[in-house]
Amino acid sequence: MAILQIKDLHVAVKDEETHQQKEILKGVNLKMQTGEIHAIMGPNGTGKSTLSQTIMGHPNYHVTQGDILLDGESILDMPVDERARKGLFLAMQYPAEIQGVTNAEFLRAAINARRPKDDQISVMDFLQELDQNLELLDMKESMTERYLNEGFSGGEKKRNEILQLLMIKPSFAILDEIDSGLDIDALKVVSRGVNSMRSPKFGSLIITHYQRLLNYIVPDVVHVMMGGRIVKDGGPELAKKLEAEGYAGLRDELGLKIDLVDEDD
Amino acid sequence: MNFDYSQLKTQFQQTLAKSNEPAELTSLRQAAFQQLKNAPLLKVTKFNFHNWPLITNQVQSFSLSEADLQLTDNEQVKVTVNPQVIAVKLPNSLKEQGVLITDLVSATRKYPQMINKYLATVIRPEENQIAAYHTALMNLGLIIYVPQNVQLDGPISLTVNFEQQRTTNFHLLIIAGKNSRFQIIDHLIASQQQETPLTNFTEIIANENSEVHFSSLDHLSQKAPAYYQYRAAIKDYAKVDWAVGLMNECNTVGEIDSELIGEGAHANSQLIALTANDQQLGINNRVTNRSPHSQGLINQRGVALGNSRLIFNGIGQIIHGAHGSEAEQQNRLLMMSPHASGDANPILLIDENDVEAGHAASVGKINQDQLYYLLSRGIPRHQAQRMVIRGFLSAVITAIADRDVRQKMVNILERKLKENA
Repeated sequence: MAILQIKDLHVAVKDEETHQQKEILKGVNLKMQTGEIHAIMGPNGTGKSTLSQTIMGHPNYHVTQGDILLDGESILDMPVDERARKGLFLAMQYPAEIQGVTNAEFLRAAINARRPKDDQISVMDFLQELDQNLELLDMKESMTERYLNEGFSGGEKKRNEILQLLMIKPSFAILDEIDSGLDIDALKVVSRGVNSMRSPKFGSLIITHYQRLLNYIVPDVVHVMMGGRIVKDGGPELAKKLEAEGYAGLRDELGLKIDLVDEDD
Repeated sequence: MNFDYSQLKTQFQQTLAKSNEPAELTSLRQAAFQQLKNAPLLKVTKFNFHNWPLITNQVQSFSLSEADLQLTDNEQVKVTVNPQVIAVKLPNSLKEQGVLITDLVSATRKYPQMINKYLATVIRPEENQIAAYHTALMNLGLIIYVPQNVQLDGPISLTVNFEQQRTTNFHLLIIAGKNSRFQIIDHLIASQQQETPLTNFTEIIANENSEVHFSSLDHLSQKAPAYYQYRAAIKDYAKVDWAVGLMNECNTVGEIDSELIGEGAHANSQLIALTANDQQLGINNRVTNRSPHSQGLINQRGVALGNSRLIFNGIGQIIHGAHGSEAEQQNRLLMMSPHASGDANPILLIDENDVEAGHAASVGKINQDQLYYLLSRGIPRHQAQRMVIRGFLSAVITAIADRDVRQKMVNILERKLKENA
């Protein structure tokens, strides 16, 4: 069992126009362990993506206070690739495209990076596993010889993120708005992929605006984030309540003084 | 350029006297040598190679090797050039159609008119000093002639190994007859044991409606510099595509040049280069639209490592009267080290209104979004960087027609990047 713990996390980002550091996360606390699926919901601009990028170690996000611990060990000083090899995975909202590097080559490189030099995955084992996962995700075999994400549609990119998740088998996967831009069929496929990972050795943090995804991947815990903090925890029913009442309703109920980005004046 | 003119002259005359070449070659050499003293050097903006030891007195013989022709029943066309021997494997079927691949001397003996008509007409000796020197002292030469209406399915694969302790002035003459179509895959190599310079010239005459695809993978490691001059004369509705990969270790300077002479002529000039250590590389990639409705594209990608210097000049010229023409260019450099220097200079010279022209240039660092994405999958930094660089170069790598050559290119690239990590 692995544990991911976020303690009083404050994160600042440099504003591209003013070049001022702007604090986005203002003391996030969260603890999860493998075997659990957590969801983070929240309005736009509240720091959900900042949280996921900070956990992964994106260089633009600066931790000004607090800590992130993986099995009790701080990962703040670890470079991105090391965090990944320690078991973290981030399914990105906007995956990069790289021409000249095939999907298959990329996947093998990612798998082999986690294995000792003298025990790299055999071509047969790799292909066998790849075929199974492609089938699970309704993906064509030709996807693997295409260049990494290049010319992929939005839906294909999301599936490709989940394919990587299935191949790499991390301890913790953060899924950053994996549902955005997906039609209902693709959403089901992606959810099927994530659900197939469910086990005592896997945990996931699902970031979403909408409750819909959580009908397909039912979370153990739902966190609501507003104004750079987690303001409420609950079970799946909390997501349903939010869907019915909106974020403003919850804010007022909690007596928070937070402006919501998309709120009309 | 520093060299002892009188000594070179004496040596040239002595060498000429003892050679028994056809008169056409001898007179070409003599005329070229006369230009040597006063011709200017090729201008490569922001790049100085005046002091490079390109001109030497080490050409003791013009003994252009004679080709050894072997006719085969399979479809592969394979030419292996060493200073001592030019081995040509040509399918019977192509010989019957009139395809000619041989050394320059034999070709001049057998087809003096053709040689007179084409040799040193695309790149003229009087144009610049190295062209004069090269033409006067060529000592390794090859001609590829594909007659009109002949179309080759497979590529002509050419490997040239400059493995000898002497200056090599290599000349490749490619003649594409009307409506012909073929690919050439050129592979130039020289090892670190080599201490002598190379001048490397390719002339392509693409006659009406022909198509020539020229890709090359060069890995020259000699201690002395290399000079390139590649030029295609492209006639009505003919098409020449270049995909040149300069993976050299030696200092390299030169020009890839497409002359769109005919109406509707087309050139796509793609080039990649990787420089490392103290290497210097400066290239003009030039396309000149001389006729209406001609189309010239330039795409260059370079990666500079270590203390190297890399200059890409993209030169697009549209001559008055070439209406309805198009000139587009992209010059992009990736600087992988704070000690490397480089420049990507788009130079557009347009003397006609009714045209489409555009350019893009960039000198920058490795794409951080791509790098982050690979790192986030656990791929170690150095490996991830190599993948991003490969992606950056890939637009040109994928233009190389042959899969094996592409793989070879990627292997050399990976090795060089590893060595310089």
